[in-house]
Amino acid sequence: MTTAIADRRRLEGPRFKATPASAVLVLVIIVVAVIAAFPLAWMILTSLKTPQETMQVPPVWLPGAPNLDAYTQVAEVVSLGRSFLNSAVIAVVTTTAIIVTSLMAGYAFAKYEFRYKEALFALLIATMFLPPIVTLIPLYRITGYLGLNASLAGVIVPNLANAFGIFLMRQFIKGVPDELIEAARVDGASELRVLFQIVTPAVMPAIAALVLFAFVYHWNSYLWPLTVLQGSADQYPIVISLSRLLSYNRGAMNTGLVMAGATLAVLPPVLLFVILQRFFVDSVVSSGVKG
Amino acid sequence: MGAATTTATSSRTKNRMTNTQHRSAVFMLAPATGLLAVFIIIPMLLTIWLSFQNWSTQTGFETATFVGVQNFIDIFASNSVGRDFKAALVNTALYTVGSVAIILPLSVLLGLLVHQKIAPGGVFLRTVLFSTYMVPMIAVALVFSKLYSPTEGPLNQILGWVGIPPQTWLSAPQTALFAIVILNVWQQVGYFTVLAVAGLTQIPDSLYEAAKIDGANPIQRFFSITLPLLGNTLLFSSVIAIINAVQVFEPVALITQGGPVNATNVLTYHIRRVGIERAQGGLGSAMAVTLMLALVVAIALLFAFARSRETKSA
Repeated sequence: MTTAIADRRRLEGPRFKATPASAVLVLVIIVVAVIAAFPLAWMILTSLKTPQETMQVPPVWLPGAPNLDAYTQVAEVVSLGRSFLNSAVIAVVTTTAIIVTSLMAGYAFAKYEFRYKEALFALLIATMFLPPIVTLIPLYRITGYLGLNASLAGVIVPNLANAFGIFLMRQFIKGVPDELIEAARVDGASELRVLFQIVTPAVMPAIAALVLFAFVYHWNSYLWPLTVLQGSADQYPIVISLSRLLSYNRGAMNTGLVMAGATLAVLPPVLLFVILQRFFVDSVVSSGVKG
Repeated sequence: MGAATTTATSSRTKNRMTNTQHRSAVFMLAPATGLLAVFIIIPMLLTIWLSFQNWSTQTGFETATFVGVQNFIDIFASNSVGRDFKAALVNTALYTVGSVAIILPLSVLLGLLVHQKIAPGGVFLRTVLFSTYMVPMIAVALVFSKLYSPTEGPLNQILGWVGIPPQTWLSAPQTALFAIVILNVWQQVGYFTVLAVAGLTQIPDSLYEAAKIDGANPIQRFFSITLPLLGNTLLFSSVIAIINAVQVFEPVALITQGGPVNATNVLTYHIRRVGIERAQGGLGSAMAVTLMLALVVAIALLFAFARSRETKSA
């Protein structure tokens, strides 16, 4: 009888008793969440204010008559569509390539036996811990040799593989049963078929996490695009256009414009996170615990 | 006879299998290994080589001339080159220590808040905290530059409500670096909270039950069970937090340009300015190598510290 109740409780998820302690905790959680969300809320609110309101002292918190003027203006100042397109191309191409290269390498590390496997794995994973600034100077020269500077290809090509992706894929492919792979091989499937038709569907949650990780990282990335694209403004991703908005803005003092641009740039990665967050949290957990 | 043939065939099959597997392994590993080699491992080796060369970033590698350790002497000299670099090194160290010292304890506290089973809202809080980690650093820097604005910004207004005088934030050398630390903490703490929650999940409830029976209060339980058992998580978190912290670039490049009075001149910003903008590739590489060595030393010390704690508690 008691166990039956306990079972039902477990099935229905956690039940919270209303006690003074839980009331205090809820209050703390709300306060922390408000503090965490405040900068983004301020950004959105400011993007809806009139230029006068953004300059008022002391600051006004809520726009008197919320309007989208700043959003139409920001499109006139920077080539917003082009910047968004550039960012999308960078993020989508690098993400797609990272998925493929990580699956292939992760599969080899998880399911093959070969000499120097552990050493090679360690070497590749070590690159994950190298701050990009350490390689920036010669890399700029190398992409110059390859004729990639001042082009989107220069942003993309050095980022087509990624150590974290290899690590994540290896962790998850290890869990795919060998029997499944053997059965496909016996049926005469090539290794690429085994990888993309048998293994890949079995690790979709990890792939979803990697999609989010890679997309967000390359959408947000600033240091390398700024370095490799020097001067070619029509290739700029949204984050660089946004930084130029500030210098344009210094004279005009229209904070709303900058905040409108920032709001637009924040939307794609945050929306993708909201959609895929379950997988992302799981993968951070697994990389933290197993790593 | 039959048995012998079977063995021979199977060993031949096995041989063929390992051969195929060997070829497949090369094929599967080639793209990722090749790309990481060309775009990370070789550039890293080149950085080390260039740190001993006099070389302009605008010319080919073949124009580099060997100068021994001259670049390292220069970046630690008492002229302006050395002064700027040493300032950047100190600023980066301060920034890193500040970030780690705030992020780590905060991530454990927030992790407890997310992990607790007494009140609802934990998962919601995790989502809110983690979503800030998705925001481009450029946008974070833009927003905080407005929040910090001495007159039109809301932060000084809020401080005024509770009777704290207005702060200078980014506009004075004494506070600018710390203002960027706060901005960094806001952006990153969600990620480390998720790591902390992962560590907390691994601690068996039975330990807490036993401690409760022994009459340990929540604070005693935290220090005798939670904190020691979070050791590995905290070690991993500190390594990642350190490596993230030395990469700070956007707020400096966008808002302060290293100022006021060099107060926010950090290494990633300084190395790029010297090595790319001023095209002093040799000097910049020597700075990058110094950063790499400093990181290795810091992380080695961290592991040594963790190990000494472990042996002490064992």
